[in-house]
Amino acid sequence: MTENFKPKITLFHCINAFGDADELALNDKDAFEIQTVKMACSSMVKDVFLLRAFEAGADGVIVMVCPEGQCRYIEGNIRAKKRVAWVQNLLDEIGLDGRRLFLNNMASGDNAAVNQAMDNVLKNLAEVGPNPAV
Amino acid sequence: MIVGEQKSIAEIKAIIAPYKKILIMGCGTCVKTCFAGGEDEVAVLASALRLACKKDGKDIEIEEFTVERQCENEFIQEGAPAIARNEGVLSLACGAGVQAVARRFANTPVLPGVNTTFIGVLEKQGVFTEECSGCGNCGLAVFGGICPVTRCAKKLLNGPCGGSQNGKCEVNPETDCAWQLIIDRLKTLGQMDNLRIYVAPKNWQTSLSGGPRKMVREDHMI
Repeated sequence: MTENFKPKITLFHCINAFGDADELALNDKDAFEIQTVKMACSSMVKDVFLLRAFEAGADGVIVMVCPEGQCRYIEGNIRAKKRVAWVQNLLDEIGLDGRRLFLNNMASGDNAAVNQAMDNVLKNLAEVGPNPAV
Repeated sequence: MIVGEQKSIAEIKAIIAPYKKILIMGCGTCVKTCFAGGEDEVAVLASALRLACKKDGKDIEIEEFTVERQCENEFIQEGAPAIARNEGVLSLACGAGVQAVARRFANTPVLPGVNTTFIGVLEKQGVFTEECSGCGNCGLAVFGGICPVTRCAKKLLNGPCGGSQNGKCEVNPETDCAWQLIIDRLKTLGQMDNLRIYVAPKNWQTSLSGGPRKMVREDHMI
């Protein structure tokens, strides 16, 4: 683990998972820097957006989507899941480590789940370290 | 359409290694449809290569440009200014597109980023299957619109081999038996008599076996 590593995180989220980042009651906010990108549906998260977040300096990228079976547009979260898996493989292939990219299903208003997911993300990022392409 | 598949990042990195300014040139026709070389794939590849090169400490400038069709000069020409700004072109078109760009820009290295795979159709979203071998002598009228030259593992022209089971090929049980499909289709069309037509051994001279082919339409020549 890199000392004093304060990860930069880009969070893409479906507005149906939560409306605004302000609604998130995140614990330990000083442990990371976060930038959020709202989407009308998680299916709008294209491969290139995820990669460009890393190009822009993110150490980790999270895509928060509705629970499976509860997408307002039927299959948006399934599409997001497949795209995330594709980009994770691409990150592995280019040596950036696919563990920097996360997908979390969360029910609207479930802050406990969000904080649990964030803990996992921070734990993984502590292992993989800063983005080597910055 | 022509179906292709993007090469691995490792292979592409090796191909573009000698260059510091490279243009990734997409094609908005066949390879766009099969997610190998359209505008979106150009953007993803450019981003991935920038990240990979930065991680490796290699300075590279990558420009992106996609034309409607890379196999026609009229469209390729639109990329001329971008090509002039770069040391080389990584083409995400099929092999014909790569060669058309190379022919038009004789002094620029034009490199392939896609493996051209086959002539096929979109069977369902995300699944592409080979259905034409481009043999140069189409017999689909006799076979009810299903090509045994491409879709029968044994390329049989006068009926099934007898090895298929439950409509699947004995060579690959995941593949439909072409002759089962042909017979089903001929039944539907009321053309079962087609099975009585003797199809002579195929003359492969019209295929690639006779060397690269050329088609000339005098009426369109100037």
